[in-house]
Amino acid sequence: MTTAELLANYSDSIQQGLDNGAQYLKAFHALSETDDNQSLLSAAVALTNFGLNTEFVTFPHQFSDEDVQLIFFSRLLSLSGINSNFQISNPQRVQKLLCRFDSLGDQTFTFTKSSKNADGFFFGPTFNNRPLFYLNLKNKELMFHGSSLIQYFVVDLAELEVNAIKDTLRLLTRAAAILKEKFGFKIDFNVLDSVNGEFYQFAAGSLSENVMDELFVKSAENHFVLMAEDNGGASLTLDNGTKMTVYDADSNNSRPRWGATIHDDQQSENWLYLLLDYPFIKKWYLNNQKQLEILSNQFVFG
Amino acid sequence: MERQMETDQFSQNDTLLSKALKEKVQYLNDLNDSVKNGDDLRIYQLMDPNRYANELATDQATGDTQVDYFGLASDLTAELSHHLSNKLIDYLGVTYPFFYYHEYELGKFQVYFGNWWDHRMFGELDPINIRFNFDDNEYHILAQSFQLEAENRRVNDAAMQKLGDENERITKLINEQDQRDRRKEEIRQQLKENQEKSPMPWEAGKVKEERQRLNDEMLKLTQVDEEAASGRSTIKQNENKILALSKEETILSLEKQNIRATFGSFEAFIENNNQLYVKYLQNLAQESQVSDGE
Repeated sequence: MTTAELLANYSDSIQQGLDNGAQYLKAFHALSETDDNQSLLSAAVALTNFGLNTEFVTFPHQFSDEDVQLIFFSRLLSLSGINSNFQISNPQRVQKLLCRFDSLGDQTFTFTKSSKNADGFFFGPTFNNRPLFYLNLKNKELMFHGSSLIQYFVVDLAELEVNAIKDTLRLLTRAAAILKEKFGFKIDFNVLDSVNGEFYQFAAGSLSENVMDELFVKSAENHFVLMAEDNGGASLTLDNGTKMTVYDADSNNSRPRWGATIHDDQQSENWLYLLLDYPFIKKWYLNNQKQLEILSNQFVFG
Repeated sequence: MERQMETDQFSQNDTLLSKALKEKVQYLNDLNDSVKNGDDLRIYQLMDPNRYANELATDQATGDTQVDYFGLASDLTAELSHHLSNKLIDYLGVTYPFFYYHEYELGKFQVYFGNWWDHRMFGELDPINIRFNFDDNEYHILAQSFQLEAENRRVNDAAMQKLGDENERITKLINEQDQRDRRKEEIRQQLKENQEKSPMPWEAGKVKEERQRLNDEMLKLTQVDEEAASGRSTIKQNENKILALSKEETILSLEKQNIRATFGSFEAFIENNNQLYVKYLQNLAQESQVSDGE
């Protein structure tokens, strides 16, 4: 190699590194400034797993892939005008951004990369990393994790006011709904699904009779009567005509599939809200958690 | 002469026979018409004219025993029962809104109390006699529950209390494990000291006695340890028993609530059951008058 070639190679390599950086920067500008939903999403997808460093050019200060997801999420909320309860809590630091919801006080949250899929990220509280939902911008997927949501919002945050918790949950479901409607995401709302008739499937498959008996007794203690249904299940009419039904969705089959549905005029009640709204149902759920846990996507969360 | 008399005596036979058969045919025609016309009141009258006359005490009731032809149709009891159940259950649906019926074979009805989770099978409905045949046991528990309620008590209070106390006791045993372990260690030490003693003959009895006492205490502690070790499963079993008893109390309380809402009291409920035949037939009579008047 001649000296001239060596110098040309060197400058080419630097140039490539700088071009790479320029490309990153362009996407980064879009991520932080664009007003367009589609460019926001493509910028976030481009920046995720972006190899910014090259052999000749490295950048000492970089946002992580997790940070990119959080910035995307934050910008999504502000573009949709629903960011009032939400903020990134440590913007002064580069790397490992955290966020928080005003109504939940000091609790901070962050994204964590899935070990199974480099494009998939779990969103959860910083202190115990329960995966509240899974986000994959590239595949356009968002899935809520039922039992983690319950464990966190119903058990861990039991001290907080129900309305404060619901404010945050409403924000999450609205964000998911926007991703569905405006971005064409596939969403599994799981225990947060408020559509009438959504089937919340219990982990146990079949329920022991004791579990239903306990619901019957606890309901009566709270002046609600658990009624027998023709399909072998039972139903509970709660406040404002909200009706919860527990039954085996596969009663003709050899493999029972017990679960619950909720009907209400507003279609605003879901399984998680039910546990928040009715302490006796929460107690029943927690006493029999092994059987009553709501199934989530086992491949993604397993 | 004698022969002549016989002829006279029996000559009316055919006339009588014919008259009797006519009456029977008339009876069956009458029954058939009533079924076709949906005149259940008349059916009840035809099925048991004496009871009808006695209990309803209408103008026609003369006190004379009336001829009962029901034997002619008694093999059709199941079909009649099914037919009569239709209007009867409509009526009971209003007057006993908490009862539900299951026709488990033609004309035979099980009565369920309430349609809540795990409602009780409370007996049978007999549409022919317009009567509830309550299950002795179920009825007795309900009656007892009403009676105890007046004293502010419940049927299963004692049993539930006992199980609750038992669980408390076992929980205490489990919690006291450390304490027992320490005591066992002390006893082991004392036994060792006891064995090392070489007592004077006149003290030998006392030393032996002490050893016996320590061994006894040790045995007792080990037995308690065993009970504590299996305690969690006993507690769970007891909790299940308590749940079953609370369920029964919940069911009883719903039953009482419903009886009270409809009848005011258990006594009024019993009274109404006893008068069901009359009340229902009077209701049918009133309804037919109303429809006649239209």
